[in-house]
Amino acid sequence: MSLYPPSHSYGQAPFAQQGYTQRGSGPAPGSYQYQPPPPVYQHYDPNSFREDYLSRLAQLTINSRPMIQSLSMTAQENSRWAEIVAQCIETHIRRASPWMKLPAFYLLDAISKNVFEPYARHFTPFVIPLFLETYEQVDQATRSKMEEMLLTWRTGSPHGKELFGIAPQMSIERAIWGGGDTSFGSDVSRNAISPISKAQVLSELDFTLGQRERALQTNPYDTTSQNQANVLRQLRMVVEAGVSQEELHDVLNQLRTLTRAAPPPPAPPAQPPVYVQPQPPAASYPLQPTYPVSAPPSSYPGSSTQPSTYAQPMYDQKPIPSSIPAFPAVSNQNPGNAGPSAPPISNIENLFSALLKAGVVSATGTPTGAGATAKAEEVKSEPVDIARVAARDYRKAVLGQKIRLTNADITRQRPQIVQFLYERLGVQCKQCGIRFSDSASGKKKMQDHLDMHFRQNRKASQNVGRGHSRSWFVGVDDWINEVSDSKGKGRADRPLSGKAAAAVAAQQEEANLRASFVVVPPGDEAKPISCPICKEILKSEFLEDDEEWVWKNAVQKDDRIFHATCYAEALASNRVAAILRNEKTGRSRSQTPEGASFRTTPPRPNVNGVDMKSGAKNSAPPTPDSKLTGTKRKIADDVSAPVEGDGTPPFKKLALSASA
Amino acid sequence: MSSENTSPIRGKEWHLDPETEYRFELDIGTSLALKLLRGQAEIFGAELVEGQTYIFGQECKAAIFTWRGCTIEVFGNPSTDYISEETPMTAYANVHIALEQMRVRALRIIHGSPNNSEDESSLPPSSRLSEPPRVLVLGPENSGKTTVCKILTNYTVRAGQDWAPILVNVDPGEGAWAVPGTISATAIHTPLSTWSPVNPLGSASTSAPMALSSNALVPLAYWYGHRQTKRNPLLMDRLVRNLGQNVADRDGDAEEKASGVIVDTPSSFASSPSSGMKDDQRHALIKACVDAFNINVILVVGHEKLTMEMQRTYGNRVTVLKIPKSGGVVELDHSYRDRVSTYQLHTYMYGIKLDPPPGITDGTLGGEPMTDLTLAPSSLAVGFDDLSIFRIGEETMAPSSALPIGATRTVSEMQPAKVDPASISSRLVNSVLALLAPPNPDESERYDEEVLDLPVVGYLVVTAVDVPNRRMTILSPNPGSFTGKTAIVGTLEWQEQ
Repeated sequence: MSLYPPSHSYGQAPFAQQGYTQRGSGPAPGSYQYQPPPPVYQHYDPNSFREDYLSRLAQLTINSRPMIQSLSMTAQENSRWAEIVAQCIETHIRRASPWMKLPAFYLLDAISKNVFEPYARHFTPFVIPLFLETYEQVDQATRSKMEEMLLTWRTGSPHGKELFGIAPQMSIERAIWGGGDTSFGSDVSRNAISPISKAQVLSELDFTLGQRERALQTNPYDTTSQNQANVLRQLRMVVEAGVSQEELHDVLNQLRTLTRAAPPPPAPPAQPPVYVQPQPPAASYPLQPTYPVSAPPSSYPGSSTQPSTYAQPMYDQKPIPSSIPAFPAVSNQNPGNAGPSAPPISNIENLFSALLKAGVVSATGTPTGAGATAKAEEVKSEPVDIARVAARDYRKAVLGQKIRLTNADITRQRPQIVQFLYERLGVQCKQCGIRFSDSASGKKKMQDHLDMHFRQNRKASQNVGRGHSRSWFVGVDDWINEVSDSKGKGRADRPLSGKAAAAVAAQQEEANLRASFVVVPPGDEAKPISCPICKEILKSEFLEDDEEWVWKNAVQKDDRIFHATCYAEALASNRVAAILRNEKTGRSRSQTPEGASFRTTPPRPNVNGVDMKSGAKNSAPPTPDSKLTGTKRKIADDVSAPVEGDGTPPFKKLALSASA
Repeated sequence: MSSENTSPIRGKEWHLDPETEYRFELDIGTSLALKLLRGQAEIFGAELVEGQTYIFGQECKAAIFTWRGCTIEVFGNPSTDYISEETPMTAYANVHIALEQMRVRALRIIHGSPNNSEDESSLPPSSRLSEPPRVLVLGPENSGKTTVCKILTNYTVRAGQDWAPILVNVDPGEGAWAVPGTISATAIHTPLSTWSPVNPLGSASTSAPMALSSNALVPLAYWYGHRQTKRNPLLMDRLVRNLGQNVADRDGDAEEKASGVIVDTPSSFASSPSSGMKDDQRHALIKACVDAFNINVILVVGHEKLTMEMQRTYGNRVTVLKIPKSGGVVELDHSYRDRVSTYQLHTYMYGIKLDPPPGITDGTLGGEPMTDLTLAPSSLAVGFDDLSIFRIGEETMAPSSALPIGATRTVSEMQPAKVDPASISSRLVNSVLALLAPPNPDESERYDEEVLDLPVVGYLVVTAVDVPNRRMTILSPNPGSFTGKTAIVGTLEWQEQ
């Protein structure tokens, strides 16, 4: 067991915190104690490949990220022999002693997430028995690691679906947690309620809680995570104390929504459980495990080189008490990160308050929505300071050089350039040679940089055979406004970055929403009606063209009129259901102070399907099926469909502004 | 356990002492592979990765420099190779650090941080040395101007400070990241690699994923249409000012703004006799650059007289500094420059196809894996009326000196003239066209000379003209419709390789 002390294990802490280095035992600080990645040979016949792969697998006795990466890279490069790789891994896991199995599973996990096709396909046939057999044989600590890994498989595929398909996922989960069938897939509906075991819910809770705690470890200043962790702990206590089946279901659904919301669509959540990020699930993108990318064989001249060449202190990170405090907050500053991280943060807090509201749990002291926002802002502002500290440090060093732009100075001085170009930048990307400082923020940048290489290489491998061509240059406006998302990461992707495009789309959508209206029933013109969500009075207007009084920016759901914009927003966070539920239970309607809390309550009932086909023009919710509703909307546009929801419409018709 | 397994061929090993460089030149059709075995080395400021095999070709002439010594292994047969101990790198590095000081001061001001008296020179806030460095690099032919720009840019992006300097090429004889005849600007985020004279300053983006963003640049480009500055200095002046305006307007982040601008210029700016321009034309163009890019540092590469000229003209507001020329620069003849120009046009359309030296199977071209760097252009038939083609100024314009005494040329140099492809005098076949961005959608904002001010979105080649059917065949970098588009023809010609 000594080789596999739990403290080094893969899932305990994010990489940034705890490397694989067994502290104190290594040669020099900062150097790297694993064997250099073995040279990658070009294999021309399957048998020698099999032999080589098996022998390298046999060395995977500890949870070593570099080894897993290297093996996974080999797999990626030799995907034509995917079958052999799969056989090797299966054989290895079956043969290996129990304490060696987990690392091999992590390898399987890494390969299937990073090189989904064809590997996941090849693993699927044996993953169930293999997982369960292993689970039987290992100790409790390893089991919980395996459970964590299993949970990431739920959304492990590039499309955010089950990594090995829904059936294997379910059978493994059922075998482990007992219980039964839980509603899977994108259809998180209530109609298939089946018993859920407490163990399962607790396990998932622990998983999410673990993520938050790790985030805290990485960044003690992250009050948001702290808050969330507290909430989750309370929730855990409540669940442990025993709650009803339906409540368990609610908790589970919420947790799943949370995890499911995580992976940004273009990038599959390629991280094994291990690499779980400080800010999961939002941060998954930039932090996914990275492979120093298929360097040509020659780039590993093997043992002839000094070990220092391979020193990638990146993997040797300890919490660094450097002049730069709380570095991990930098991760929040990543532009790609900031956006997606916001909703899940509020989500998890909402989860608890939602459950409170729904009467599922009772507790004291819940975080308020307002507080959460303030905290989120706090976190955001922090990285700026760190960046400034680093910038100040550099500025000092540069200004410390006594060089002016004079002939005498530039020709006679000995330049300190080596210090700036090499010494201050201790880690080098082995693919392109770019260096990063070995400070915490430098390592973060290096990580992002390697991720970029990884994505590019994957893109390149997917593109093989498809011809490429020179791109057009951009026009003046696009060039002037080119968003430098690429900052530091060395990537200027599209002229119109994804972010900018999304912003344009969002604007467009908003405009559409505002243009939608509902015709005021005759006689009701003067009656004040307020939006159940924002409580503001809907203003009626006279439309010259249609010669009718209408409510602008309005949609009708059941027999309620909502602001179209409020409704779309609510749908996105599933607040409508809460409101509707309240309505149904006959509680106070609009104008109650309780209304304010709806903002933060998202139980997740099945609202998506309801009514949407009734021509809810322009209230497209950014839910997974919004595309579907989009098409329906289009049809509705053409035929100007009347309301046909399950609520009886008291109004004559729902007008649809075709182009207004 | 080492590379012998994959490359049984042994190359020649060179040991470089600190601050020396290994220089090599390649003949037509040969290539060279080079591997850093030990130590640290850089090629025009871009660091090499130990163990990686770098491939060079297309008559590349380059130098591997080391600050602290290294050992390299070279495969292939360069026409010349030697180690030099005399390099101007010390001076270049010192210049870089001085520019870096301007950047950090500028960034501090942008961020509004207080001056913590770490800056003992305690410059007044109004000092131009607290502005982002906006550097104009001047020098005679074969002085290594482009290389200086490249080294300074590479050192800047290597600083680890997220700098993204705007690199500007106003030398129409130099293709930079695109094709000759263009003046353009782009932000640089990662080091510019060197592997061929085709892309001395990185490469414009393609649909292929690239490891280095400097191989996928998104430039803003204007079409001058000729390789010689003297052909139309007035047009050049106007384009430089357009470009400068847009560089100034660019909405970069704080680091990009603080990084400043580095401007590479044609040798014709440096001396009159070789450029065929009058002194006042030359000075007018330098002034256009100084004004357009708000230059605050002028670096003159190895030219005393020009340094003095600049000092006299701009010394009161611009720091003028002469920097040494590298002994390694190769005298390039015109036929070489013509061939490079042809390579550049071909590379723009067809991408990179380079055979490594025998025995080398794997390697990197400018930081990219060697596989799949070829591109597929499209050949399209286009009706005469679909694409409007203009020529700027009269093609057969008499030189100004041939005009009657007292007569001055007025606007004709800047007059866009529509080209009729059917006319025999159109001479469109094998011409390179610059396809322009669409004009202002607001009709009332249009003006006669608008085509002069529209940026280039791509380059086309007319490969055939079918007068009876009023169609022409066009080679385009990627498929697309040209209906309603505008293009300008210059004097660049497409030559089959």
